[in-house]
Parts: sequence; structure tokens; C-alpha cells
Amino acid sequence: MRGALRSDVVVIGAGSAGLTAAIRLAQAGAQVTVIAKGSGSTQLAPGWIDVAGYMPGERAPLASPRRGIERLVARWPDHPYALLGVQAVKDTLAWLLATVAAGPLAGYTYSGGLDANMRLVTALGGLRPSACAPVTFTAGEAAGLRRVAIVGVPALRDFHPRLCADNLLAAGIEASAHSVALDLGRADASALALARALDDTRARRAFAASLAAVVGASDAVGLPAILGLHEAPAVHSELQERLGRPVFEIPTLPPSVPGLRLYEILRHALRAAGGRLVLGASVVSHERSGERVTRVDTATAGSPSGYEAEQYVLASGGFHSGALELDSHWQAREAVLGLPLAGLPREGAPRFVADYFDEQPFSRVGVAVHADLRAVGAANVFVAGASLPGAVPWREASGEGIALASGYRVAELVAAEVGATPAPQSSGAAAPAEGVGA
Amino acid sequence: MITLATEVLVIGGGTTGAGVAWDAALRGFDVILVERGDLAEGTSGRFHGLLHSGGRYVVKDPRAARECIAENRILRRVAADCIEDCGGLFVTTPWDDPAYAERFLAGCATAGVDCDELPVTQALREEPRLHPQISRAFRVPDAAIDVWKTVSALADGARQHGARILTRHEVRALSRDGDTVTGALAYDLRRGQDVAIQARVTVNATGAWAGQIAALAGIEGVHVRPGRGIMIAMNHRLVAQVVNRCQMPTDGDILVPIRTVSVIGTTDEHTENPDDQAVPPAEVDSMLDEGEKLVPGFRQARALRVWTGVRPLFQDDKAQTLPTRDLTRSHALLDHQKRDGVGGLITITGGKLTTFRLMAQQTVDLVCWMLSRMRPCATGSTPLPGSESGEHYRLGERLARKEAALRERQIVCECELVSRERLEAVLDETETTEIDDLRRRLRLGMGPCQGGFCSYRAAGIMHAHGSLPAARADQALTDFLKERWKGIWPVLYGDQLRQMRFDEWVFHAVLDVEHLPVDGDAR
Ligand SMILES: Cc1cc2nc3c(=O)[nH]c(=O)nc-3n(C[C@H](O)[C@H](O)[C@H](O)COP(=O)(O)OP(=O)(O)OC[C@H]3O[C@@H](n4cnc5c(N)ncnc54)[C@H](O)[C@@H]3O)c2cc1C
Ligand SMILES: Cc1cc2nc3c(=O)[nH]c(=O)nc-3n(C[C@H](O)[C@H](O)[C@H](O)COP(=O)(O)OP(=O)(O)OC[C@H]3O[C@@H](n4cnc5c(N)ncnc54)[C@H](O)[C@@H]3O)c2cc1C
Repeated sequence: MRGALRSDVVVIGAGSAGLTAAIRLAQAGAQVTVIAKGSGSTQLAPGWIDVAGYMPGERAPLASPRRGIERLVARWPDHPYALLGVQAVKDTLAWLLATVAAGPLAGYTYSGGLDANMRLVTALGGLRPSACAPVTFTAGEAAGLRRVAIVGVPALRDFHPRLCADNLLAAGIEASAHSVALDLGRADASALALARALDDTRARRAFAASLAAVVGASDAVGLPAILGLHEAPAVHSELQERLGRPVFEIPTLPPSVPGLRLYEILRHALRAAGGRLVLGASVVSHERSGERVTRVDTATAGSPSGYEAEQYVLASGGFHSGALELDSHWQAREAVLGLPLAGLPREGAPRFVADYFDEQPFSRVGVAVHADLRAVGAANVFVAGASLPGAVPWREASGEGIALASGYRVAELVAAEVGATPAPQSSGAAAPAEGVGA
Repeated sequence: MITLATEVLVIGGGTTGAGVAWDAALRGFDVILVERGDLAEGTSGRFHGLLHSGGRYVVKDPRAARECIAENRILRRVAADCIEDCGGLFVTTPWDDPAYAERFLAGCATAGVDCDELPVTQALREEPRLHPQISRAFRVPDAAIDVWKTVSALADGARQHGARILTRHEVRALSRDGDTVTGALAYDLRRGQDVAIQARVTVNATGAWAGQIAALAGIEGVHVRPGRGIMIAMNHRLVAQVVNRCQMPTDGDILVPIRTVSVIGTTDEHTENPDDQAVPPAEVDSMLDEGEKLVPGFRQARALRVWTGVRPLFQDDKAQTLPTRDLTRSHALLDHQKRDGVGGLITITGGKLTTFRLMAQQTVDLVCWMLSRMRPCATGSTPLPGSESGEHYRLGERLARKEAALRERQIVCECELVSRERLEAVLDETETTEIDDLRRRLRLGMGPCQGGFCSYRAAGIMHAHGSLPAARADQALTDFLKERWKGIWPVLYGDQLRQMRFDEWVFHAVLDVEHLPVDGDAR
């Protein structure tokens, strides 16, 4: 017989959904193995935690994420939030805030909650409604901005301070644009390379000095999200100190520095809880016994390996991660375990429409689930994250909210199946109640 | 209202119009060219990319074949930099009538198209993705031609000889003095003003729109029946040379490698409207099926985008009264004095991109005759700007140049290796406010990510570099996304869907383009 690694639970996917599920399960005492083709979308995403920012098609942002969840569910009864409920999202955010606070980046915290969306400055100078954000972002909350200096770095082609500032002006915020060199010896430097450079004490002092020379009489300073990787809290507070005013980060094109920080924090939490993470492992086949999946096989650096578990969590993402596929005949399939899909347009109905900004009929496709997030046709597979059908998260500003909360909820359901008990959030370590609405 | 005067007014900025402007300017005429959109925004910018050897027409239309091979040889010299000499094959697949190959060989011999049969094993060694059951293969001097480079070089050359090139100028009326056309009334779409242009000769080089312009002079029966065709760009060079099916020309039977992609085409459906850009799903589907016959596994390859071009197929309702002197079967040169009794106006339409130089030469010969100033054509021996060295474009040339300057030059579009410096130079030259114009000049946003990264950068640079207001820069970005999407969604599947989903995350989540600020949003 071919060998296989046995665990209580195998989680497929290392995005925020998969990692959250795995951490919670490991914390509950289950033996968990995460297998993933790649490290997921967290490192590409801005790092803010969108829960419910917009009703698609409406211009005005949703003032409160809680109310937003309710409206999304009322309008789309098949929305993932209908299966999760407000309470699960609230618990998830509290857990996330605690996990970040207890993480390896001392002083790096998230704040926010379900009561009110923050409006955070985007690279285009828009205002993104988001529920939670890291400490390096929050001074960019629109409500608090009066006179703001937006400063770019010429080597970073992914941030254009003038466009950002002028759009903020249009929104009624007094903003000016500036530019400060951060020279890495070549014409292009990625956000990541710049962040690494600022981790160095000398480099960030010099950067602070150049900034001080341009920011004038502003009462806050916005910079692209490059304020350090491993030293982010120190870089951020040192800049604030030296400039004598709040400083905030603005996310830019992927890869994302704040996204990487969040990924590292989650990964650390998984390790600390005793979970195992296997990256570069793409699920290529699986075995079943009736309604149950009994084993999955991965192609790991060319050599296949098998994983067996009681329960499986499918958190493999959507079309963006290759977990769902559409072929040239416009037939869709779930590529990891071959599970049935939901949210498909009727046979013969258009998959896409000609206006880019209209809702594309194909956007809400996902893995069909029962009310308890169990996959249709596979009794021991639970589904979380972007694999779930029913949402258009990039337009709703609901991506991380759905991913984290469904990961969190699936962990509870799976824990019950394998006889583990997840720690209730209230007894969780040092959860800062601040900002998390009751 | 602005008033301009010139000797020769050219309407239409495709290869034909730009070719006429270049030819006339070289011969010392004073020239103005007006184009309603950007240069090559019509059929020329939406063609298949093939510099014909003539092989395609040797059986069906030998005269067109002879013109193609003659022009092919000339353009290789004078437009060398616009051409990639990838070569071409005609192959007999299991779906093609095997008897056609002999007629093809005989036709090549008659038309003077160089053609050598090569062993099938050799063809498959050169093109390993080709269908393994091809039974014959012939080598011809097909090549790939970059139309944007060509049209820019023609316009630059014309400008260097004093011509004025006015884009975003739409002709809305022709001026007449009795039976003579004396110029045109154009509308400057960018500045929003009328421009009256007086001209001694007006050349209607508007391709599929030629009938509309002739009608402005009250001339009936210039009937251009537009023939619509789709092409699909695949993300890889599935073949290294042009591959044609060895059969009577039909749909989806040519695959052209262009830079890092390859393009399959095309179809031919009659339409009444030259602005018809429809892409019917059934046509896409059958095109992919045809692709499978050339390259098995075609449907699994990544499709980037699809577009429609509209052929100017000329059908003269006054055929019997036509002066035959300059006419060939493949294009039509109309002297409206002789044809309709209307002086000062010439129409040149039909033809192929490959034969644009010949069409321009014949047109300007007629201009000389009308102005009684005979001057010899020089376009057959004068290299276009950029082609002086006589060296063809080579794949990898851009990369080599960029790699040498990575420390000094920022790259805005990684897929197509467009530097910030080049982009800013084009912004200065054209004062454009459209990212799609940058695409045509620079290939910005044409690679696998279809603008996922570079379009935001381009908007930021357009705003910071020029005087474009922020709201206009935002609009340039959203317009570009909409415009790109039109060519993406009909072939959206496989890895390209994966890419577009990623792009959606970038544009809708990271950049939130759907909710750009309007007045006082923050308060
Ligand atoms: C560019 C970008 C910007 C974003 N911006 C925002 C934002 O502003 N706000 C917001 O809230 N959200 C944003 N998101 C989304 C957010 O990051 C969430 O991660 C996303 O909603 C889904 O998370 P997930 O864990 O379900 O899937 P993913 O993070 O996509 O993870 C999927 C995992 O499954 C793995 N996988 C896939 N197939 C297989 C297989 N066959 N075998 C093994 N493993 C496999 C992948 O390698 C990966 O590890 C953004 C995402 C992207 C890509
Ligand atoms: C699908 C397809 C594939 C093809 N493939 C090839 C190929 O591989 N090789 C080849 O050699 N040939 C090919 N051809 C043929 C070739 O593309 C055309 O013959 C050629 O591009 C025509 O150029 P043109 O300048 O005459 O027309 P156009 O490029 O259409 O130029 C006419 C211009 O006039 C402008 N105009 C219209 N009305 C007005 C107005 N009122 N005021 C101002 N301007 C106006 C238009 O905007 C347009 O830019 C293909 C054609 C099609 C349709």
C-alpha cells in the first residue's frame, strides 16, 4: 500500500480562509495539516479586512458592516453571509484582533469592528469602506483627515501621489502631493524591496529626514505601504515621532507589504498551535468511499504524496487561484475534488456581459454547500473562503470578511466532528475589546 | 472656426491614407491628413498581421498574388523595421483537399511567388505543435508586419516632409464649388471646434467608410460592402512562422506569430455597418475548432483577446463606366471626375494592407495628373524612418535593449516592456488623453495581464506628467478597462479567466475604481 500522512483534518489551501480554519482547529487540539499549491491571496491583498462595504451597483458605501451583512443577505439569500450570520463574523474579528496582537510583530495591531466602516485612502485617492485595518493604516481614516501630504517614492511605479492627492481633493480633503527619493540603485524598486530597506534603522532615519523636508504644514502624511516588513511598528512609530504627526500607509498594487505581514502572523499562529503547513503541494487526485473523501494526493516537487484524514476543509479559493476552472466550451468545474458547483448561469445564458462594470453572470459561482457548509456530495468536506458561491466579494468589499469568518465557522463545525473543542472567543488570549462593536 | 489650406487633403489615417500622405509629401506636395480617431484605429489596426507572400491568392486571384509578392519584396526593404521575417508555410491537413496542393504549386510558379516543398518531417521539426498528420508542406516568403509601427513611421516620414497629420478630426462635409470638391469641413473632436480645410485634391482613403465620404459629395454608388472578420490572439507563439492551410481561402485557416503571441483568423461575414464590431460566440467557437486542426490542443492554450476588423470590399454599381487604367481586382481607385463628373476628388479603397504602398503610388500618380505636375514616386526606394539600416525586427530585440538599461529606465508595462521614458515621450508627442492610444503606439496593456498592472501606472503618469485633470485620468483608466473588456469576455476561459479575476481584485478591491471620488465624498 502506498504511504500517506495521517491527520485528523486536512485543510486544502493556505489563504486567509484555510489558515484561519487550521489555526482554530489546531488550537482546539486537532491534528491539522494544511496542504497548498501556493501561499494564497493574503500576500497580494491590501491587508485591510473588508466585511461589507458596498451593495453592488450602488454608489454610496455601506456605513456599517453589520447592517451591510444584513442587506447583502436580504438581497441575495444565497450569499455566504446567510450561512455564517453576524455573530460568527463578529467573533472572527475579535479573534483576528487578538491573534494579531499576540503575534510575532510586537506592537502591530488591528482595530475596527462591525459598527462602522472606516474610509481608508486608496492608491487612486478613493475611500475604501473597510471594517478593520492595521495600526499603520488607521491614521488615514477619512473622517480624521484635514490637511494631508501624500508622498510617493519615484522608484515605486505602483504609487502615483499626484493622482491620489488630486482625487482626495475632489472628495473634499485638502491634499498635496510630494515625492521623496528612496534609492535602491535601480530605476524600479518593488514595495517589498523598499519595505525591506526601511527595516534598516539608518535607512529609515534618512528617509524620515527627507520626508520632514517636504511635508510642510500638513497634519497627516500618507505613504505607499512600504513601512517595513519585520520592523513595521518601529518604522511607523519612528516616522510619526520624527514628523510630529500621524503617518499612514496606502496599499498599492500586489504584492502587498501589509498582506505579507498578515500572512506571516497567521502562519506563525498556525505553527504555535502545532499545525503543519505543506506548501508547493497541489492536490491532483483523491480517493473516496461513498460520500466520504478518504485520501488526497498531491504533486509535491514532482513526487506524489498522500494525505489521509477524517475531515477535509476545502479552502482552495476560486477562479483566481485555479481551484475553479472554465473551459473553452464555457463549462465550469471544481478542479480540486471534482465537487458540484452552485451559482452557475442557466444553460445557454450568457457567462459574461459586454459592460465591464455590470455584474458578470459568472461571478457568483462556487462549490455547492449545504447549510452547515458541508460540500454537496461529500459528507466530510467543509468549504470556506472564496470557494463558496453566492458573493461578488471584490465588488461588495467583503473578501476577507467572508474568507476569515467562513474559516472560523468551519473550524467549529469540523471540531465537533472530530471531537475537539475550540476555545470560545471570550476566553481567548488578551482580546482587545476596543473597537469591536457589541 | 479654423481655416487651413493645402494641396492634397487625405481623409483616413489607416495604412492607405498614411501611405498616400507619405508618398505625396515625398513628391513635394503640401499635405494634410485627417483621421477621425487615432492613426490605425480603423481596419488597419484590427487586421491579422500578415505581410502576404501572395501564396494565399495564387489559385483564387492570381493578380492579387502578383501584387502581393511584388510589394512584399519592396516593403522588406523600405519598411524593414516594421517586419519580422518569420517566414511562412502552407500545409495540407487531413481536412484539406489533397489535390489543391498541385494547383497551389502551379499558381505560385505562374504568379512568381517563391515556393519550395519541404519534407513533412522537416516541417514538423520546425513547427512541432502542428498537426502530426499533415501530408505536405511548402515554404513561402510570408512575414509578420507591425501595423502601428508602419503607420507611425509613415506619418513621421510625411511630417518630416512637411505634412500635417490631424488625428481626432472627423470629416463631416465636403466643400464644393460647382462640380468640384474644394476640400472638407472637419470637426476637431478634442478641442470641440470646426476646421475648414481647402484643398486642390481631396483623397478619400477611408476604407470601409469610403461610401459614406463619397456620399457627402453627393456621389452615389460607391458601394463598399463591409466584410467583418474576427481574429483571436493566443498568449504564446504556438508557431514560429506563419502557417496557412493549403486550401481555397476560408475561415480560420491562418496562424500568424506576432511578437510574443500568435493570432488565428479570420472569418468573413457581410455586414451593412462598417462600425460593426460584433463577435458572435458561434464564430469564436468555430475558430477554436479550426485552431485544433492546425495545432492539436489549441483549445487548452490561453486565449488573450478577440477583435473584429471590417474589410473594405468594393463593389462598384457603375462598373461599366469605370476607367480601368489604374484598377486592379484587389483595390479600387476612382477618379470621380471621370466617373461622376465631380472634380477634385479621388477614392482609393479595397486592397490589402500588404499592397498599401502600391495603392498610394497609383493614387498620387493620379493626383500628379490632376494637378498637372508629374513627379516620380519615391516610396519604392526610400526607407521609412526607423528602417534605414534595412534590418528586420527580431523577437527579443526589445528585451535585450531593456535589459541593458534596467538600472536607468523604469518599466511601466512589463508584459510589453514599455519604459516610462517612452511613454512620456509619446504623451508629449500626441497629447493624448486615452490609454488606448498609448496601447496602439506602445503595445501597452496588450500582454497576458491585459493592463492589470500598467493601466493604473499609465493613468498616474498621464496625470502627473501632463496637464490632464484627475477626473480625466480616472476616466482614461475606466474607459480603458471597458474597452479592453470588450475584446476579452468573448474568449474568457482557462488561465485568462484566472488572470481577469485577479485583475478584478486589483481594480475593484485594491484600487476601488468603481467608486472614484466625486465632489465632497469625504464629508
Ligand atoms: C490582488 C488581490 C486583492 C485583494 N484585495 C482584497 C481587498 O481589498 N479586500 C478584501 O477583503 N479582500 C481582498 N482580496 C481577497 C482576500 O485576499 C481573500 O484571500 C480571498 O477573498 C479568498 O481567500 P481564500 O483563503 O478563500 O483563498 P486564497 O487566498 O485564494 O487561497 C487559496 C489557496 O488554495 C490553494 N490551492 C488552489 N488550488 C489548489 C490545489 N489544487 N491544491 C492545493 N492547494 C490549492 C492556493 O494555492 C491557496 O493557498 C484580494 C485578493 C487578491 C488576489
Ligand atoms: C479581418 C481582417 C484581416 C485582415 N488581414 C490582413 C492581413 O493579414 N494582411 C493584409 O495585407 N491585409 C489584411 N486585411 C486587409 C487590410 O487590413 C485592409 O485592407 C487595410 O487595413 C485597409 O486600410 P485602409 O487604410 O484602407 O482602411 P482603414 O485602416 O479602415 O482606414 C480608414 C480610416 O478612415 C477613417 N475614417 C472613416 N470615416 C472618417 C471620417 N468621416 N473622417 C475622418 N476619418 C474617417 C477611419 O477611422 C479609419 O481609420 C485584413 C482585413 C480584415 C478585415
